[in-house]
Amino acid sequence: MDFTFTDDELAFREAISRFLMVEAAPEVLREIWETDSGRSPDLRHKMAEQGMTALSVPEECGGMGLGDVAWSLMTQELGYYGIPDSLADTAYVAEGLINDLPESIRDRQGWLERIAEGDVRIAVGHSVNPLVADAHLADLLLLEHEGEVHVLSREQVSLEDNPSIDSSRRLSRIRWEPSSSTRLVDSENGRALWESALNRGALSAAGQLLGLAQRMLDLSVDYAAQRKQFGKPIGSFQAVKHQLADVAGKIEFAKPVLYRAAYALEHADPLVDVHVSQAKLACGDAAWLAARHGIQVHGAMGYTWEVDLQMFMKRTWALDPDWGDRGFHKSRVAAHVLMDDAQLGPGHTFREA
Amino acid sequence: MSLEFSVADEAFREEIATWLEANLQGEFAPLRHRGGPGDEEAFPELRKAWERHLAKAGWICVGWPTEHGGRGLDVTRQVIFHEEYARAGGPGRMGHIGEGLIGPTLIAYGTQEQQRRLLPGIREGREFWAQGYSEPSAGSDLSNLRTRAELDETSDEWRIDGQKVWTSLAHESQWIFVVARCERGSVGPKGLCFLLVPLDQPGVTIRPIRQISGGCEFNEVFFDDARTAANNIVGAPGEGWKIAMALLGFERGLSTLGQQMHFTQELELICQVARENGAARQPALRQRIARAWVGLKVMRYNALRMLSGGEDGQLPREALIYKYYWSNWHRDLGKLAMDVLGHTGNVVDDSDPVRRRVQQLFLFTRADTIYAGTNEIQLNIIAERGLGMPRESRSNA
Repeated sequence: MDFTFTDDELAFREAISRFLMVEAAPEVLREIWETDSGRSPDLRHKMAEQGMTALSVPEECGGMGLGDVAWSLMTQELGYYGIPDSLADTAYVAEGLINDLPESIRDRQGWLERIAEGDVRIAVGHSVNPLVADAHLADLLLLEHEGEVHVLSREQVSLEDNPSIDSSRRLSRIRWEPSSSTRLVDSENGRALWESALNRGALSAAGQLLGLAQRMLDLSVDYAAQRKQFGKPIGSFQAVKHQLADVAGKIEFAKPVLYRAAYALEHADPLVDVHVSQAKLACGDAAWLAARHGIQVHGAMGYTWEVDLQMFMKRTWALDPDWGDRGFHKSRVAAHVLMDDAQLGPGHTFREA
Repeated sequence: MSLEFSVADEAFREEIATWLEANLQGEFAPLRHRGGPGDEEAFPELRKAWERHLAKAGWICVGWPTEHGGRGLDVTRQVIFHEEYARAGGPGRMGHIGEGLIGPTLIAYGTQEQQRRLLPGIREGREFWAQGYSEPSAGSDLSNLRTRAELDETSDEWRIDGQKVWTSLAHESQWIFVVARCERGSVGPKGLCFLLVPLDQPGVTIRPIRQISGGCEFNEVFFDDARTAANNIVGAPGEGWKIAMALLGFERGLSTLGQQMHFTQELELICQVARENGAARQPALRQRIARAWVGLKVMRYNALRMLSGGEDGQLPREALIYKYYWSNWHRDLGKLAMDVLGHTGNVVDDSDPVRRRVQQLFLFTRADTIYAGTNEIQLNIIAERGLGMPRESRSNA
């Protein structure tokens, strides 16, 4: 039993964090918001250079061969820096789905290589999400139709733009015609692929929510130390500091839940659905609390456009229902706990099946 | 105790309902359900015209005493007025700061000359007011304000220098009331004055502050040798804090009732969305919706109890808990609204007015526990004033 990360995993995370701190400062992100596409090819290219798109691509396809556990760290960084680009959709969710395809599929290896090189954007349309992120820039779209996997180019679909309250999100409703020529996998084999894709998507959202929570906490701690009222930093008042301590507690207790879920995904745990749902709920709760207490501590400043807190709050509110809303994930957990033959007692803390 | 409406009350209800139905038509039809919290910037000119229209029919300042041109309605009738105004979708009131805050303050503390000069503009829906309290270094610590006022004996004017912030609708107003420091070297609540200052003058600059919702309902207001006549002071120099606090006491009255009707409509809207999109079938959401309804009823009963008491502007004990209660209830309602919307919650669709209102509700409610006294300040008031507990140690800078 070992709940820790290796030095290599931590060092990679640290390197990515330092890189994003420089390249994706809030003022840069605000500039990207204002562009037509809402995305920066330059930032995407630099992230690929850092190896972020190659993380879980198998080594024989030019990747690093890491898995879901590594992504549980990486997605926190994407959240912490509020990266608008849906990089994880391509490099984690789509990559995972393509990697799970039968090797007989002709384009499989080529796609994986292109993902690792960072020169492809793949949008994923799962039925749990009515809208698809970053479809407007996608080279390929992986779309679900009654359990089947379809692959289409952007020219084969029509997109309807759906602006979000989070200026960094670019969402589209997609209209398309499934046909035998677009179908990659039939429903019999496709359902399991989509179930895994859903879990990866939810884990990706969970990791980002946790990173967002940490960012909002850090911003709030800084603000409470600087802002003075009654002749003192407001952070010296218990009514203020205790709110941030509560957030810290939520974040720390969500982390191992996220890691447990990532481990379950990586090791094909039969209860992976339950673990992922719990992680999504725990990380979502932490992020909501961080937003609520963060804006409270910021006072009216937190309600302004100018102060960066809003960027991370809005991303939180928008991501929370992504890849399964609260009702969906709570139902999955409840269904497990209330199963007739649920094994919940001692001896099943880590080995539940 | 009597919790019934009389036959005469019901006749009054019929009267206002009929009037609103007949008058929120034609040019005013677009105003229905607009201009509420989070939507304050909607149709400013048309809403000002609506204020004048209301005024002509005697439907503003309904709670003011008749000798000051109001209708002198008792609490019951005011409740009915606000219920019907909200039910008809009456627009957010541009004149609320004048009617609900500075008007009652002038009636209680102003000179006869000030009352004669300033109340008609409010009562006739012609003049609008902004509130100059908060400053960059005076938020929760309001008495730390630094805006200075000095009486210039030669011109017989107050000269004002400093800055106010979070000033709602200053850009749509003619007047601002300003709490300023008039005794050099004074600290805290001592040495302040309460001035009435015209906004349209070279010494005043108004700069909008963009909010997370994208709108700019509030402003920074800069005073750079701004002027107001010597007789535009309420109370004496040095009494500014007393007047400023008394004004806040009036905030609970009229605004409270209108606000609760607005809450009732929001809850109804959320229920409507939940029924339509299936969220009403989710047990967890059903429970939260029921809990929200229960919370609203509690709030309403408490408000009616609070307002049934004396009318001297003094806050009864139960009033201390009011802001804390409603703001937390409303913040939770905003979260509930987002959870009921689910996926569509973060997607903007201007063609769907219901969704737009629910999203505005959500974003606006993020500020409820902050403006008009934060949660932390409210709890301190309850603990210190309500329970008589020792004050937190505060060093004065």
